[in-house]
Amino acid sequence: MKSKTWVWGLLSWALCTQAQDTSLSEYLVEGEPWKVAVEGMVFTDGLCVDAAGNLFYTDVKEGKGIYKWEAATGKTSLALDHLPGISGLQIGPDGRFYACHNKEQRVIAIKPNGDVQVLVTGVKCNDLAVTKKGFVYFTETPTSSVHVITPEGKHSVADQGNVVKPNGITISPDEQTLYVSEHGGTKVWAWQIQNDGSLTGAGPFMTMRVGTGKETAQGDGATTEAKGRIFVTTETGIQIFDPAGRLSGVIDKPDPTGKVVSVEFAGSKHDVLFVAAGDKIYSRQLKTPGYFR
Amino acid sequence: MKRLLYCFGAVFLTVTFLPAAPEDDQYKLGPDSMVKADVPKGTVKQMPAWTESKIYPGTTRDWWIYVPSQYKAETPAHVMVFCDGGGFVKDDGNFRVPTVFDNLIASGQMPVTIGIFINPGVFPAADPKAKPRSNRSFEYDSLGELHARFLIEEILPAVKKDYNLTDNPDHRAICGNSSGGICAFTVAWERPDAFRKVVSHIGSFTNIRGGYVYPALLRKTDKKPLKVFLEDGENDLDNQFGNWPLANQDMAAALKFAGYDYQFIMGKGTHNTKHAGSIFPETLRWIWGN
Repeated sequence: MKSKTWVWGLLSWALCTQAQDTSLSEYLVEGEPWKVAVEGMVFTDGLCVDAAGNLFYTDVKEGKGIYKWEAATGKTSLALDHLPGISGLQIGPDGRFYACHNKEQRVIAIKPNGDVQVLVTGVKCNDLAVTKKGFVYFTETPTSSVHVITPEGKHSVADQGNVVKPNGITISPDEQTLYVSEHGGTKVWAWQIQNDGSLTGAGPFMTMRVGTGKETAQGDGATTEAKGRIFVTTETGIQIFDPAGRLSGVIDKPDPTGKVVSVEFAGSKHDVLFVAAGDKIYSRQLKTPGYFR
Repeated sequence: MKRLLYCFGAVFLTVTFLPAAPEDDQYKLGPDSMVKADVPKGTVKQMPAWTESKIYPGTTRDWWIYVPSQYKAETPAHVMVFCDGGGFVKDDGNFRVPTVFDNLIASGQMPVTIGIFINPGVFPAADPKAKPRSNRSFEYDSLGELHARFLIEEILPAVKKDYNLTDNPDHRAICGNSSGGICAFTVAWERPDAFRKVVSHIGSFTNIRGGYVYPALLRKTDKKPLKVFLEDGENDLDNQFGNWPLANQDMAAALKFAGYDYQFIMGKGTHNTKHAGSIFPETLRWIWGN
């Protein structure tokens, strides 16, 4: 018995320190289910977080602009008005919001005072991720392409034809790998990010769980946890992949009959998982924080 | 290169294997795993890193070739491929394959066999301070023909440029530990025209990327001409991917049901290769025997 305890001690040591063989119990807190954080919207999306853990979000169908959920109080407000139809959002290294302004078919950067800079037009941008160096990567779902905008503002297609209806997009904590989920397939693709922003080594690195009788996983939003695990919203729940690309857990959707789209860690310790689910945003306390760049 | 090796070492040790527990320490290497003064030594050559894979674009990997001293260019050599080859080729590891090959070939207990030791691919990071991303799980845990094609279309032709390798699939074996174990089985399962001998140690026939289906497939599929060796330990992993001892027992039961030529050895060990290493000479005698 004693030796067995020792083995399990070693096991848990290996599991904890290597961020590899990690099961759901390492994330979920007993007695902490999904809670409603935001309600009364129509189609929530575009979750992103600031350093203080405040959550920002949009309502792509009926929203006026960018809304804020305050980490300190849990109160919500309209932070930036007159920006309807944003589907993807992240705060860049310069403190500006970078946004997929889906309704206007453009990518924009927004100062906290509301000043808008148009980065690219004529794109059906769905979701985006911004690196520490200021490269903006975004998915264009209908054209099955992933685009990049350099810090100098140069726009190009970084990958086309590999990813079936690319949707969610996120970056590894070392900023070396880009991940994109397939809405029309079953894979999460990965690339190595080169210094000039180009993408190499395209591969269907992760395979999502697919619902019984379904042909696609309907991968949607994606975010990165502090130890490099990737969280992807899908039709069957929020799927967690370790850095080796292995599906290691699936968190149930708050509403089993509803959809989940955007996902983000927020809260003052960045350890509360938020998920956009139709007219609501749900939150769930986890044991592990998100990666915040 | 050194950094790559270091990284591989780190991945190999931490992802795949846990430190040896008392259950593992009972297993010791025998005389056939030790260098014997009167036995001729084969040569181990580290090859230039494989960087131009079309099957796994963007990856680079280290690999080595062992050639026994008895090899003669006019006679096609048997072939044995090792997944995670860096661990198998080491002269102070749990397997010491070149030494075991030297001893068994010299004593006529296994055929003249060229060993090909291949590490899984990594994607180098653009930032020299960042670690490469391992492609090991993708290459080894995935079902399908991709890794078989990698070996058949890329690696074997590269070795054949310099050495006379057999084309007889009965004379070609593939061996691996953990995810490398299921990879070895997958390669032969997909391409029995190329590989027919499988050695799996602590094989991950669990649901990392769907590999738990093999027992079911084996039972309903026309028997393939494979010879399969499975080793596992009673204290192997039980985690979110599955239960390794049960999965290996399930594999063994399916191989038996379907009438395969197989052997299954269950030790007391954990997710560790000490047991497999200690019986490795005997494993080779069986896998290469008639």
